[in-house]
Amino acid sequence: MAIFRWGHSWDAFQDVEREVDRLLQSVNLTFQGFRFGRQYPPINLYELHDTLLLTAEVPGTRAEDLSLTISNGVLTLAAQRTDAENVSDDRFRRRERPHGSWQRSLEIPVRVREDKLTAEFDNGVLTIHLPKVAKTKPRQIPIVEGETGNAHDDS
Amino acid sequence: MSEDITKSTNQARRDDDREAELAAERYIITPPIDIHETDEGLVLRADLPGVTKETLELQVQDNKLTLFGRVLPSVTENAKLVHQEYLIGDFLRSFILSEEVDHDRITAKLSNGVLELVLPKAQKSKPRKIQVNID
Repeated sequence: MAIFRWGHSWDAFQDVEREVDRLLQSVNLTFQGFRFGRQYPPINLYELHDTLLLTAEVPGTRAEDLSLTISNGVLTLAAQRTDAENVSDDRFRRRERPHGSWQRSLEIPVRVREDKLTAEFDNGVLTIHLPKVAKTKPRQIPIVEGETGNAHDDS
Repeated sequence: MSEDITKSTNQARRDDDREAELAAERYIITPPIDIHETDEGLVLRADLPGVTKETLELQVQDNKLTLFGRVLPSVTENAKLVHQEYLIGDFLRSFILSEEVDHDRITAKLSNGVLELVLPKAQKSKPRKIQVNID
């Protein structure tokens, strides 16, 4: 622990917080329950002014095994984790990592240019760029008076 | 952000210091692992998405193996987070190695965010004959 810190030395809570964090770390919680209780893979969604960025944690998957499709605003990710295939179950001493094939469909909350999607895969993290459809100006639609309306008036 | 990275790779920094800093600023995530036996020893695999060769530290001290992997942000800072299912943080986990493991022959490989550690069994020492000299 640092004996002296610049600033905020009056804030006793910071030290308490750190101490609690340190104690909690020693509990060595795995995210197992948390991870499996949710959909796989876990995703984060970010917004930039003209794009949406979707990132997904998919370790152990090769780029060529990933499939990505979009149709009518629904993005579907699918892949298979192949790295533990050749190990028989009785050889495992510990098994916490998710395995097997998976598929996940996501409804994209805004309209995106489905033909302009790009994706990259680095160190087990998939990043998908979804360019938003540019907002168009409201277009005035001219209304023409119908002939049937006139005819009705005359009678 | 780049300042933090140089700090963490600086081996001269005291561990206590670093721990305090990380606890205060970043999430520590325990990565899920698999361990399986082979004829030669043990194989340990850990999911470390976002960790690169440069941001991974592996350390064996006495019989404790510690892995620490930093995750650099994959999106620019001006990106606004609108939906979150996983935390961006650093992976940390340590293991006690059994007596069987040959510490000097441990090898590590990182690919697609998965660390694979091969922990070979120590070669059983051959029986050695002790010559008895009679005076």
